[in-house]
Amino acid sequence: MAEKQLEATAAAAAFQKQWFADLRRRVFDERQPYALVQADVPFELFDLLEIPAVSNQWWSSLVAAKRQAPAFLDAMAADGLPEQLCRYCSLGFATTRYRQAGEAPWGGLPTPRLLCARLTCDCIHRVFSLWAEAFGAELFEIDHPGASELPPRWWELSRHRWRELVEPHRLDFVAATLERLVERLEAIGNRRLDRAALRERLERVNRQEEIFDAARKLIAAAPATPVRMTEQIANVMATQWVRGTEWALAHAEQFYAELKHRVDAGIAACPGEKRRLMWVGAGLWHDTDFYTAFEASHGAVFVWSMYLAFGPDGYIRYGFDDPIQALASRTASFNEYLHNPPWAAEWIVEQAREHRIDAALVLHPKSMKPSATGRRFIERALEEAGIPVLPIEADVVDARAWNPAATRQAVGAFLDERVSS
Amino acid sequence: MGPNVVAELSEALEAPFAALGREPERDRGTVVISWPSVPVEIIRAAGFRPVVARGSGTPTPAADVVIEADVFPSRLRQLVEAAMTGRLADVAAVVLPRTSDADYKCFLYLRELVRRNVVARLPPVWLFDLLQSGGADVPAYDCERAHELLEKLATLSGLRPERRDLEQQIALANRARAAARRFDALRRDMPRIAGVEAVRLLGVFWEVDPERYVALAEAAVAVVADRSPLRGPRVLLAGAPVDSTALHAAIEVQGAVVVSELSPLGSGAAGPDVEFSAEPLQALVEHYRRESIDARMPVGALMRRMEDSLDGIDAVVVSLPPDDASFGWDYPRLRESLARRSIPHAVLRGDPASSTTAADRERLQTLLRAVAQTSGVRHG
Repeated sequence: MAEKQLEATAAAAAFQKQWFADLRRRVFDERQPYALVQADVPFELFDLLEIPAVSNQWWSSLVAAKRQAPAFLDAMAADGLPEQLCRYCSLGFATTRYRQAGEAPWGGLPTPRLLCARLTCDCIHRVFSLWAEAFGAELFEIDHPGASELPPRWWELSRHRWRELVEPHRLDFVAATLERLVERLEAIGNRRLDRAALRERLERVNRQEEIFDAARKLIAAAPATPVRMTEQIANVMATQWVRGTEWALAHAEQFYAELKHRVDAGIAACPGEKRRLMWVGAGLWHDTDFYTAFEASHGAVFVWSMYLAFGPDGYIRYGFDDPIQALASRTASFNEYLHNPPWAAEWIVEQAREHRIDAALVLHPKSMKPSATGRRFIERALEEAGIPVLPIEADVVDARAWNPAATRQAVGAFLDERVSS
Repeated sequence: MGPNVVAELSEALEAPFAALGREPERDRGTVVISWPSVPVEIIRAAGFRPVVARGSGTPTPAADVVIEADVFPSRLRQLVEAAMTGRLADVAAVVLPRTSDADYKCFLYLRELVRRNVVARLPPVWLFDLLQSGGADVPAYDCERAHELLEKLATLSGLRPERRDLEQQIALANRARAAARRFDALRRDMPRIAGVEAVRLLGVFWEVDPERYVALAEAAVAVVADRSPLRGPRVLLAGAPVDSTALHAAIEVQGAVVVSELSPLGSGAAGPDVEFSAEPLQALVEHYRRESIDARMPVGALMRRMEDSLDGIDAVVVSLPPDDASFGWDYPRLRESLARRSIPHAVLRGDPASSTTAADRERLQTLLRAVAQTSGVRHG
């Protein structure tokens, strides 16, 4: 594994481990409730009602990064669940349903009081129903109405004109559902949501994402990228799961300060950087070394992934007359921003230009249907913008069919043949 | 069944979608839907003829360039192919329901293909955003979407359908459903018609004028009721809902009879009536939300439907093609349910709209051999 170049990265990892240990202690020793949720639900509501929320995607990525996924995935397959079903969203379920098959990280997930999921893709209702059944816990679903109007350059509307970004009937529907979620959380947490506190929290989320926006601009403008993509992700996601908290804000500032220092001092993540790469799709959690594998051989550095870039564009909302509506405007269209035409392609091309990207590697995750769609539109848009594309077929948590050597060889050939240094 | 009825049904099943692009005048009166969870009663009340996109083994070279492999079912690949080759240029509108993510993504793709001028001529493409979860705000949301759809279609046709027009279409469709139920009943205990034939008549429920459908179905009932019962194990087709006859043919060529399928283009067409207890649009969306068999149908409802279908079944064939993202999750529950009833089953992995793969044929043979050994006494 590549050495960590930022102190903030080690601090983020330590925070997450301690946070999870505290969660287990709270649940087991103090019998406090917690929630197991999809990554795209509004964590702020849970936190303000003192029901800590664990992200399914974070848990899956952790299991995969600890190389513990194959045993659970084998158990799923042995139970007859077809291999084409989404592994990213279901690996966590597998660690519960087939707990005897392997050893989940950090003692495993305790039983949640509530599971909560947005029904983005078709599998979510299924996976979370099974998971809730396995835990004997309650499930709250946030349905996902489809978008019919997708105005161009969504990121230019998302901060100040977010009411124009989501059709009114969708916005109202999601807001109404979030109000019902609040009612449920209030009942579980035995307290009322303080709307003023919610506004304050959302303002702090804005502040945190503004810091990430500055970090993104720093990376984009620096002569050579000061931070590896993997360390961007580690720092950004550690804060996103607890966004708007004091720790998250402080950590975002620490991350930015380190970047600024490195840029000012002319420190590059990869001295001799020659090619700047972007990764389109979720992280390859079982093989994060992949992202540093082309530095020595080709001077090729992964500069961009959605994780840092999406924070500012996807989360910042100004104007909290109705904070639930603001949250709903973020929640309503996550998948459309990141995966679907026309929004995903035009945003990624914009990001590629801003970051002076030389080539893009686009994940084709066969088992993740939402992420598997829209790829060709993204690839075509990048190629039309003069950015060579290499599709990478892989599962982000399932390493069983992953051939690291062959893929590295293919990327090397792609860089040699299509990407000038 | 008499030859004329069979011919008419076959044509009705396979021709409408395949025939698009040949008769512009006829196409102008047509609304193409990607799956029958768009209420056909609304389409008819607005003065249009519904046509359902169908899967088939026909190659889709134009669509293959823009849509990813193993993500979209055959019917959506065929729909995109039709759009890209100009076959939809004259139809009044294309409507895709939200009842599967693939349909929703296909809606976004079609819009984008138009926006990028990849498709030169395409009629309005709309999403019918029918949600199916149990959320308290879902019924009102769905009802508003149905109002919107009716308004848009009415604007296209220039008609102003009123409440009584909707009620009339509901009544007509209910009569057609009743006819479909009478026909479907002939498949169960002592099946008198092969699944390949039966699914043709059931599938055209959505596309054929309801009065004509009643006549066809009644004629079919009269013919089929006089037939001798078919021998062979009685098979239920489960998993991802089928919309063509290829899988039926593959099963029946081995001596079994498909007597039911969990698909709106099969036994699902013979479902319950739309209830008249509420406002017509409200009644329609409640019916379609509850009854639409697709990837977002709540698992509890689907499993109840499954349980209700298992009486008298000798074997179950579960179709879980590569594009399935949903029904595969139900498989362990289904397997346990079948084990409790001692009903054998096989899981097929190929595309049900195409020729059966060698591996799937092998699975079918193994299943039907096992059934023959255990239930040979019953079926003589």
